[in-house]
Amino acid sequence: MSESLVLDVRNVTKRYDSLEVLKGISLGLNKGETKVVIGPSGSGKSTLLRCVNHLTKPDAGEIYLEGEAIRDANINAMRARMGFVFQDFNLFSHLNVLDNVRICQMKVKGADKKTATHRAQQELARVGLEEKASAYPAELSGGQQQRVSIARALAMDPVVLLFDEPTSALDPELTGEVVRVMQQLAAEGMTMVVVTHEMSFARQAADEIIFMENGHIVEQGSPDAMFSHSDHERTRAFLNVIADHG
Amino acid sequence: MPEFITFGIKWLPELLKGVPITLSLWAIAITLGFFLGLVLTWARVYGNRFFYWLSTVYIELFRGTPMLVQMFFIYLGLPRFGIVFDAFTAAVIAITLNSAAYQAEYFRGSVLSVPKGQLTAARACGMTQWQAICCIMLPQALRRVLPQWSNEAIVELKFTSIAYTIGVVEITALASDIGSRTLDFFQIFLWAGLVYLVLTSSVASFLGWLERKTYVPGVTNV
Amino acid sequence: MDIYDVLLRDFPFLLKGLGVALVLLALLLVMGFILGLAICMIQLYGPRSRFIQWPLIAYERVFRGIPIIIMLFIFYYGMSGLLDITSFGAAVLALGFRSSAYQSQIFHSAFQSVPAGQMMAARAVGMSRVKAIRHILFPQAARHAIGPWTNEFSSEIKETSLAYVIGVVELTRQAHYIITSTQGNVLTVFAVVALLYFIVNRAGNSALYAFEKKLAVPGFEK
Repeated sequence: MSESLVLDVRNVTKRYDSLEVLKGISLGLNKGETKVVIGPSGSGKSTLLRCVNHLTKPDAGEIYLEGEAIRDANINAMRARMGFVFQDFNLFSHLNVLDNVRICQMKVKGADKKTATHRAQQELARVGLEEKASAYPAELSGGQQQRVSIARALAMDPVVLLFDEPTSALDPELTGEVVRVMQQLAAEGMTMVVVTHEMSFARQAADEIIFMENGHIVEQGSPDAMFSHSDHERTRAFLNVIADHG
Repeated sequence: MPEFITFGIKWLPELLKGVPITLSLWAIAITLGFFLGLVLTWARVYGNRFFYWLSTVYIELFRGTPMLVQMFFIYLGLPRFGIVFDAFTAAVIAITLNSAAYQAEYFRGSVLSVPKGQLTAARACGMTQWQAICCIMLPQALRRVLPQWSNEAIVELKFTSIAYTIGVVEITALASDIGSRTLDFFQIFLWAGLVYLVLTSSVASFLGWLERKTYVPGVTNV
Repeated sequence: MDIYDVLLRDFPFLLKGLGVALVLLALLLVMGFILGLAICMIQLYGPRSRFIQWPLIAYERVFRGIPIIIMLFIFYYGMSGLLDITSFGAAVLALGFRSSAYQSQIFHSAFQSVPAGQMMAARAVGMSRVKAIRHILFPQAARHAIGPWTNEFSSEIKETSLAYVIGVVELTRQAHYIITSTQGNVLTVFAVVALLYFIVNRAGNSALYAFEKKLAVPGFEK
């Protein structure tokens, strides 16, 4: 089974002092799948995502990318194949938009400048920001910055994209442009794990929704199953709260 | 006043012979101090316990004692162990060691002020620790430190005059020499003051220009 | 007689030198404080006329742009032509004026970091401008200033050593006397001297830091 999985997370645990944040999480993604992780804050979903590419090192458990286990020895090569989109964008603030999308290609994949520039322009066009190539991050709106950071991740030709609450730091009127880019990526067959509170995106684009609470996966299933007839009281309660808040 | 001018016309050319010495003393020391300062910063921010303490003790010692004493120590003291430097080299070493301590202190502040997410993002796309530091951390930290660094560079430019006490023939030494020949110390030191003022103002304007030139919105003023 | 006996015998001279350095330090800091505060007040609240503001800017530039050694010589030789001044007196004046140029800038930015609303609120409850500055702005500005002022203290204690060049018999010169009179171990003597500066510097810093803590007000951050 694990042969066909693009990303295979097996029994990952993480503890901070006395607090057990992840209590043995497993999940797998086939090529082209989009899985959306939802859950109340503190449920461990962001930690899970950071454990996937070892930004936070799991205490136990294994993570396989296309069948290959992530180790300290291959960590940088593995990260290069996993795009990560941060809640607060983390664009490199001293570099303009074009350089932000080029630098990892050049430094990590050893791409030459011409190739990197070409790829960067393609990806900027894909997120609709090719005309902002020479702007600096501080000159962009939050939504634009997040689209650039998606382009930065895409330019590395990742086999999987990890989104860590990509719209949570944005003003409500700016979330739409980012969600549209993510929907488009899902439709084009990108393999994605998305931690988010954007229920419209989850409903529309997810192949599977994973509901996490207190470091456990409480329930997972199709959007339809989760939204309309969840078996779990906790899931229903959470979805009700989210629905009330828009 | 006319007397001051004619005095200047007569002696300024000789005084100005010290300018290349002063400037090279300064440029060499500040550059070496820059690299040593980076090493000290690295030891203090990313190093293990041993390097942290070594760097901290070094910085505190050199910031806690006068440059004059440091220079005497190197030029007059070390020969006892058979370590003999000519005056210029001793001055370069003293100013380098002194400046590195201050530069390291400023670098540390600026390195710590760069948001953590910048390094995380660099590591997330597969950069090594060194790549992340060189490509992401340093360009931002150096821009942030530039105003303080400029102050430090100018402080050290003025401190080069201390090299006079161990016999480096820079501007101050020449002024003193001309003073003893003309017995007009007051006027020649006024002129020397003017020369230094021109030097420090020029360096200040150059560094100000560099600051504007390397300005990136959102890096320095966050 | 080995060096430690010499040090033991001559230690009172070093302490005497340290005493001279400390008196010099105290006088120059007080002079710098009073003048610096006055300059800052005129810059912030005085008449905006160029004839008043520009000379003050020039004053600051000149005293910040010229090395201390040159300043000491200018005051020493300049004043001795006019009145009967000791080298100690010249050192107090040169370093005091110079310190005032630095202290005025410290106070300047301290006052500027007090939010404008504070002045407005003070005026709104009926305080005069002078009263508002004295009772509302000054206590807040002082808290902002104390950190940078501690740095100024640190650089001045070290810079008193430069009064050596005009013959003030402070700590560094006493050390030199011991070395020349005994052909003693230069390293050891200067190590002791460095240690004395270091201790005074540290003690002063700790005292000022404790003072800063004592003045600390909850919610008042820089």
